[in-house]
Amino acid sequence: MARAFKHSPRGIVGQLEGAERDLLRNLFDDVVLMLEPDGEGDTAPETEDDGGDGAPEETGEAASGPDPLWALTGLSPEDFGGAGGEAEPVPTPSDPAVLRLLPDAFRDDPEASSAFRAMTERGLRQRKIAALRGATMALESAHIELDEPAAQRFAAALNDVRLVLAERLEIRSDADSERVHDVDNWADAESVDDYLALVYNFVSWVQESLMQALLDTLD
Amino acid sequence: MMSPDTIDHTETEGDAAQATALDVPYVLIVWNDPVNLMSYVSYVFRSYFGYSKGKADQLMMQVHNEGRSIVATGSREKIEADVSAMHGFGLWATLKRADEA
Repeated sequence: MARAFKHSPRGIVGQLEGAERDLLRNLFDDVVLMLEPDGEGDTAPETEDDGGDGAPEETGEAASGPDPLWALTGLSPEDFGGAGGEAEPVPTPSDPAVLRLLPDAFRDDPEASSAFRAMTERGLRQRKIAALRGATMALESAHIELDEPAAQRFAAALNDVRLVLAERLEIRSDADSERVHDVDNWADAESVDDYLALVYNFVSWVQESLMQALLDTLD
Repeated sequence: MMSPDTIDHTETEGDAAQATALDVPYVLIVWNDPVNLMSYVSYVFRSYFGYSKGKADQLMMQVHNEGRSIVATGSREKIEADVSAMHGFGLWATLKRADEA
C-alpha cells in the first residue's frame, strides 16, 4: 500500500508502488489527450534529435514548437496584433468532462464566456498539460520527492483526473459521492463503474494525503 | 499579505465621478461541487489568495454549505486572471459584476 505524503525538510516526500504509479501515469496521459487541441499543429511530438540532417520535415514551424510568449504567459500573439484584434472564436467543449476541466467563466452569459474562452483557453489547456506531464515525470521512481510548486502542480493534476472520473461516474451530488465512496473492495468489483469508483477513491486518497502535507507547509 | 480587495481604489481616484464600465468592480464566485476535496479548496484559497487559515476555511465552508461563495473582489482584469487561475486548479469559478452578484 502506498505511504502517505509527508512534509519533510527535503520537501514533500511520498512512496507509491509500481502498479499504483502505472495507474496514475495512464490517467495523467488520458487527461493530456483530452486536453490537446484537436487538429492543431502544436501537438506534434517533441523531436529532440530526429535523425539530424536527413530529417525531411525540418520546417521552421515544426522545429520551434509553441510560441515562447504563449508558453510563458498563455497569451497568443494574435491577441495583440491582427486587424481588429478579435481572437478566434473557441467552441464550448462538447465532452462534459472536458467542459468541467475548461468551464465557462460566466454563469449565464454564453457570449461573454465565449469571449473569455477565446482569450484564455489555449493557455489554460497548456498549463494543465504541463502540470499533468510534470506529474507523470515525478512518478519515475517509487520514492517521490516534490518541492512546493511541483507538489501544487501534482495536486492539480490529480484533481483534474478526479474531475474527469467524477464526470464518467456521474457524481453530481454529495449522495453520489457517498455511493462511489462505498465501493471499497477490489475483489467485489463487477462492472466498469465499480472499477472506476475504486480508481477514483484511490486517486482521492493520494490527493488528500498530498493536501495534508501541503497544508503542513503553510502552518 | 495580498488583498484582492480593490473596491476602495476606484473611490479614491480623482475621476471617480466619471467612473466608466471599466471601473465597476467584479467578484469571483466559487461554486460547490461534490468532487473537490475540502482540504484542496482551503489550500488553494490560502496559497493563491494569501488568506489566513481562518478566512480560507470559512470561505470553503460557505462554498460547501451554501453552494457558492464570493472569494475575491477587484477590477475586471484582476478577477479574470483569478478565474483563469482557479480553472487551472480545477475549481469551478465564475466572475460577475459586483453590483449584479
